[in-house]
Amino acid sequence: MLGFDVIGFLISWLTLFGTYAILSMSLNLEIGFTGMADFGKVAFYGIGAYLAATITAFTFLFVNGIKCPLHSVEAIVALKECASKNPALNVSIFVLCILITFIITGAIGYLISYPTLRVGPAFLGITVLSFGELLRIFMRHFEPTGGTKGLAGIPHPLAWIPDPRLRDGIYAAIVLVVMLLTYLLSEKIANSPFGRLMRTVRDDEIATLCLGKHVPRIKAAVFFLASGLAGIAGVLLAYYLGSVNPDMFVPAVTFNVWAMVIFGGMGNNKGALIGSAIITFVDRISFVVNLLFPQAIISPDYIRWMIVGLLILITLLFKPQGLMPETPIKTLALTAVAEESGGEENA
Amino acid sequence: MLEVIDLARYFGGIKALDGVSLKVKKGSIVGLIGPNGSGKTTLFNVVTGFYEPTRGEVWFNGERIDGLNPNEIYLKGLVRTFQIPRLFQSLSVLENVLVTPPHQIGESPLNALFKKKWANQEMNLARQAFNILKMLGLAPYTNIKVSDLSAAHIKLLETARGLMGGAKLLLLDEPTAGVAYTTARELFDFIVKLRDEKGLTFFIIEHRLEVLMDYVEYVYVLHNGKLLSEGKPDEVVEDKKVIEAYIGEG
Amino acid sequence: MIGPTEVLNTIWIGIIYMIIALPLTLSYKVTRIINFVHINFITIGAYVGVILFLLGVNSLLLVIPASFLFGAAIAVLNHFIAFSPLEKRGANPVILMIASLGLWIFYKYVVYAFLDLGQKVFRTNLFSVIPRATSLPDVSVGGYVLSGHFFAAILVAGVILGVLYLLLSKTSVGRAIRAVADNPTLAEISGIPKERVVSITWALCGGMAAVGGLLWAVFAIATPEVGDALILQIFAVSVIGGLESLLWTGIGAFIISGAENILMSLLNAVLGVPVSFRPFISFSALLLIILVKPPLGAGGGLPYRFKIVRHYKR
Repeated sequence: MLGFDVIGFLISWLTLFGTYAILSMSLNLEIGFTGMADFGKVAFYGIGAYLAATITAFTFLFVNGIKCPLHSVEAIVALKECASKNPALNVSIFVLCILITFIITGAIGYLISYPTLRVGPAFLGITVLSFGELLRIFMRHFEPTGGTKGLAGIPHPLAWIPDPRLRDGIYAAIVLVVMLLTYLLSEKIANSPFGRLMRTVRDDEIATLCLGKHVPRIKAAVFFLASGLAGIAGVLLAYYLGSVNPDMFVPAVTFNVWAMVIFGGMGNNKGALIGSAIITFVDRISFVVNLLFPQAIISPDYIRWMIVGLLILITLLFKPQGLMPETPIKTLALTAVAEESGGEENA
Repeated sequence: MLEVIDLARYFGGIKALDGVSLKVKKGSIVGLIGPNGSGKTTLFNVVTGFYEPTRGEVWFNGERIDGLNPNEIYLKGLVRTFQIPRLFQSLSVLENVLVTPPHQIGESPLNALFKKKWANQEMNLARQAFNILKMLGLAPYTNIKVSDLSAAHIKLLETARGLMGGAKLLLLDEPTAGVAYTTARELFDFIVKLRDEKGLTFFIIEHRLEVLMDYVEYVYVLHNGKLLSEGKPDEVVEDKKVIEAYIGEG
Repeated sequence: MIGPTEVLNTIWIGIIYMIIALPLTLSYKVTRIINFVHINFITIGAYVGVILFLLGVNSLLLVIPASFLFGAAIAVLNHFIAFSPLEKRGANPVILMIASLGLWIFYKYVVYAFLDLGQKVFRTNLFSVIPRATSLPDVSVGGYVLSGHFFAAILVAGVILGVLYLLLSKTSVGRAIRAVADNPTLAEISGIPKERVVSITWALCGGMAAVGGLLWAVFAIATPEVGDALILQIFAVSVIGGLESLLWTGIGAFIISGAENILMSLLNAVLGVPVSFRPFISFSALLLIILVKPPLGAGGGLPYRFKIVRHYKR
């Protein structure tokens, strides 16, 4: 353990933390604020990653005039060669991918969720959970994106920075910036009249409907937003790893995110941040520890997942608000009322 | 204003409503009474789009509204309250009232991002909401969570929420259940005042006949899903069939 | 295209779906909890069989009750450690469902860990095995060789369904279960011990699902993911029953099983759709049911209708 690379560890943890924090905040919008149980988060994460990988690989090959299938060995070699040629291309594709992915994954989320939104909470969960698994099965058989092997050699948006340590560091910073923007966006939404509607849907969707609000549309809009954000997290992951394959996107990823949100505190974005920070940190540490005990009797992976399951259950049983309980909406309304009653006293 | 023609709703073999026809005139206060299980709440549920009718028509302001969704019916100005109040437990009293006004700018997810767009409207609505709370004596509780409110106040808040939206006709389902006698009279005084000042129409389910009969102009009596009797309060009270139905229950 | 194989498959898969989906519907009716641990019952039921066969127990008559008891025990345990305390605190259905999600994950990896350990003890591959009693002879009918397990499974299924029917319709326990399912508050007022009825229901449902999982594994294969692989189909079946009607759940089992086998082989023969896309049929079925005939009442849904109503003005 003498050669333990602290900075490398920190960079990988921060990147992972940023990605998962975006996922947990997007799940928090759904379950924490709107009360929609999305058990298929990974589907949109995966769609985002695949979109980014496909678009980037295709564009690079196209721009450089190379004609070969995206998943072929020639493509991987060619991508490696042309990855650092044109920084402007790298960066602009990165930005473009984020925008496109947000819209496409969001739209898919909207479409898949809409039929299930008027039936009980379980249906959305089951539908999206199955959707994710079916998508994975489909991708395993879909040759143009490499089937089970997936795509590799995706040019990093910062591939033109020669020093890998610096490159990863800057990338981690970018991920954290995207995370911060997501946080601000979620907070803005949560503290607006729309955020109020989200909470009313969570508390009593039937009463909300009877107050003239188009509940299915509200829920689908939240699902659009949350799925889009999950897609962005997927984009960030695809560039970080430089490769995607169907088996990265198993339902277990969704469970991880659920544990983060519930442990951190449903309905509180700061809670989602803290939850994902703690769990990704433990994850990274246990990854290092795993390397130390290759011959364990029971794979530490299984133990880890058992703990994730227990964590969800125990939090619900003993501390249902999680680490950070929900805070009241910071509204303008109160100031208005304060003025009103203040004026009363003066008059 | 509201016209129900031969309305029926069956649940399996049970005829919860069986061919009810009634009218509520604009600017009137009409009562709906009947023993437990006579179909009063079902009638409200069908009229407000909660259930689809098995048969019959509902007309409101010259438009046919049966089969529309509850949210569409609400937007036409037909507002209901619930027998068991359905408030938003995790929101404050003020927010519960603030939710109601339709078509708020900040309720679109896109506009929600730009505070400037909705801030003004929000402030105005908040003032309106606060005035309504003040009228109902709920002002001291403005910033309290609904889950910490007493039963009587919850009932009042439910009514306040009904008043806040752009209602033309209010369907109140037992507005005074669990409220002290004097408060109940105050509430009805307030209903009359609203009718006179704002031209609202009220259609009220009420068990406390002693209060209701002093305020309504016309009463319908339901029994076993059918209209048993109708008329001015004093006529209905003396109707033998009505007395029998109530005695039969007790 | 459609031969005896497809028909036979439809029958036995339908029966097994029925045995697994009926308890899902029943437990939902009584407890109003969408129980993801149902998935674990299936897997655990299958592996109880695997382990017992490995230990030399060679009779389905012993293995099936063992499987039932194991599933029942876990179901009751869940009720006491998780669902009951949460319900007492007034948790809403979503929270209960999430709790069951947590339990699902936990049990799933307990099974994984156990198998990891078991592999080292038994020195065989436990991650995909077919539990088989060797004592059952094959039967030849009209040139087709049917395994004795086919008949055993049909027999077991018949017995289970018969017992379930008699239990629910003829005994006082069954009446109590139905009373709680119809109206929990009223049932409690009229003196039915709700807590006990709920535990009995859990035991029944957990046990049935476990036996279903065992039967499935006998025909197909046991893997730690066997329950997860069935969840979509089972849920679609229960949704056909509106999460309410046991009769329609039973019919739904054969609808889904028929679609998966007969329709799939048609699609395969005509359009060349690979057989591994079978789950897509169940998925489409699920979406179709939700759109066309949603279980609004039982599923706790919105009184919202998609259809467009056009009324004339007067």
